[in-house]
Amino acid sequence: MSTVETRRPDSPAPQRSDETGGNTPPWAIVTLREVMVKARDRSYLISTVVTLVLIVGAVVFNAYMANRGTDYTVAVASDSAQSVVGAAHELASAENSNTTFDTVTADSPEAARNLVSGGEADAALLQGSDGTWTLVGGEDIDNGLRTPVAEALRLSVINDNAEAAGSTGPELLAGSELQEELIQGSAENAVLATVVGFAFSFLFYMSAIIFGMAIASSVLEEKQNRVVEILATAIPIRQLLYGKVAGNTVLAMVQLALYGGAALLALNMTDTADMVGMIIPASGWFLVFFLAGFLILASAWAMLGAMASRSEDLNNSSTPVLAVVFAALFAGLFAEGQLLVIASYVPVVSSVAMPIRMLSSEVPLWETLLALAVALAAAYALLRFSENIYRRAVMQSGGALTLRKAMKLES
Amino acid sequence: MLQVSDLTRKFGDKTAVDSVTFDVPAGQMTGFVGGNGAGKTTTMRMIMGVLTATAGEVLLNGSPVTAAARAKFGYMPEERGLYPKQPILDQLIYLGQLHRMSSSAARREALDLLERFTLADRFKDKLESLSLGNQQRVQIAASLLHRPNVLILDEPFSGLDPAAVDSMVELLRERTRDGVPVLFSSHQLDLVDRLCDNLVVLKAGKVMAAGSSEQLRASVPRRHRMTVSPDAGWLRDEPGLQVIDVAGPTAVLEFDGDGAAQRILGAAMARGTVEEFTPLRPSLSEIYREVSA
Repeated sequence: MSTVETRRPDSPAPQRSDETGGNTPPWAIVTLREVMVKARDRSYLISTVVTLVLIVGAVVFNAYMANRGTDYTVAVASDSAQSVVGAAHELASAENSNTTFDTVTADSPEAARNLVSGGEADAALLQGSDGTWTLVGGEDIDNGLRTPVAEALRLSVINDNAEAAGSTGPELLAGSELQEELIQGSAENAVLATVVGFAFSFLFYMSAIIFGMAIASSVLEEKQNRVVEILATAIPIRQLLYGKVAGNTVLAMVQLALYGGAALLALNMTDTADMVGMIIPASGWFLVFFLAGFLILASAWAMLGAMASRSEDLNNSSTPVLAVVFAALFAGLFAEGQLLVIASYVPVVSSVAMPIRMLSSEVPLWETLLALAVALAAAYALLRFSENIYRRAVMQSGGALTLRKAMKLES
Repeated sequence: MLQVSDLTRKFGDKTAVDSVTFDVPAGQMTGFVGGNGAGKTTTMRMIMGVLTATAGEVLLNGSPVTAAARAKFGYMPEERGLYPKQPILDQLIYLGQLHRMSSSAARREALDLLERFTLADRFKDKLESLSLGNQQRVQIAASLLHRPNVLILDEPFSGLDPAAVDSMVELLRERTRDGVPVLFSSHQLDLVDRLCDNLVVLKAGKVMAAGSSEQLRASVPRRHRMTVSPDAGWLRDEPGLQVIDVAGPTAVLEFDGDGAAQRILGAAMARGTVEEFTPLRPSLSEIYREVSA
């Protein structure tokens, strides 16, 4: 049997009809299948569209609520009240052009009160005989009404008193305006940073679980149906793993870009865009860090899929991976200060923590790159490790394997 | 020619396959038979490299088989399975592409095979919507799609109706005409008898017999059937032969030599009429029982 023969002329080597197709690397073929299968999955498409609609809807709704003006009607019984409300209108429309103040003139304070209780006016501005001002409301007085009226009244009284003292209102008030300044970012940005940070955390959490599970079940499907035996004879099993990880990473990134893009576009269209400038760089880094974090999780999910024997097994075995994903979520939501700095270096957690740090403060570039390098190194190490486990475990039929058992398997 | 040389696989202390050696000649069908647990599937998985051999090797035309060489093999695993939720044409094209075919070539070949298995009109259907027999046909198509240069088929005929068996046999014959060595395992001995040029009998991980069907037939004792009138009972008392069976005028005999056969035939003609004297061609099940006894 050990005689070495040269290839005999009659040896079986039937011609393959087409050799031209052999240029695509196997992992890319696997990647393409993963993407196409998902892209044709109706429930996946529907949930993506629904999420997109929700995101755009939320942004538009927020913008609408913020820009919505109110028309206030104030009952007055004197000319001075009339001019105060007129000044309130000026103040309010300077803040928000859609807010207006109208007056209805009543013959007496009593009549003005009646207009309020009858619902014809939102409030009545009355001046007592001793000169004191009263704002009369129904059940309550809207803040949007109270603040401009109070401010207008204050300015008008200051003007009057200043004139009586031989000065002018603006002279008296000169230098009294309080400017605000924040060392890190601005107040407006702090709120925005929190909101965007929430968005990063939840997007990462969602994608890590949805697409992670997709990898695990796709690996398990092939194991359960034994297609993997056919695949393993056609291509190196490593390529199969790479293809799956790449395919689902592409899917996750595309979905993320889609959601993020839709949100930014909606922000732009609704004129809330002055804040977008600071979100974009952090969002860009978020995509990069997401990639590194997701690669780590993808390798772990593939390993879980290979060790399971039924989909029920995944419920138990996925706990450690889920714990890491939760850690990233909570770091994104709650970590601050020193803790956030530490979190921004921990692989997977850094995917959320580093972009959030960048939103709320200046992070030197070398720190960002270092954290990214740490995450990528971890991704590479885990991919190689899971490759070993995957190769052994995926061929094994029978019960679910533990990591320890899987490491002892001979291939 | 595919050569299996001293292939051994141990699972812990248990030796599932023990120094198995046999040839699968090019252009011939080799049947692989043996009881449940004899080690057929383990051997085939080792040939395909799905399972690592503890010892031994597999040679194709004299060179050890590499992973790249195995990629050109066609394999039908014992446990069937493709993607249940994917349309059948799509998954055949995918498997073809993984075997380095272009997608158009894979599509052409897949449609051709589906046509031959009368599944052409169902190519858009998901695999799981097909009957088990039809799923089996798709599985066969998957193993033949890339025009493999070696075929390793684990129970390819189980679950097929007679028409599908015939199309399958026709396909395999075409492939062997191209010089492809085919190894297939089966429990249906009559089918193996009809189809195969060579036979390998495995029992408890060991090869009991291996060779061409003719060689194997020659290795078991030849028997004759003799029908005489009025009664064959007297044959029991004759020397030089064993009576395997007697029923009225008909007896099945095993002679000690050709001389004994002629002598008994003469004696029978002297006693009365001889209506039949036929050498019996041993059936595969007899050979199988004989070698694995």
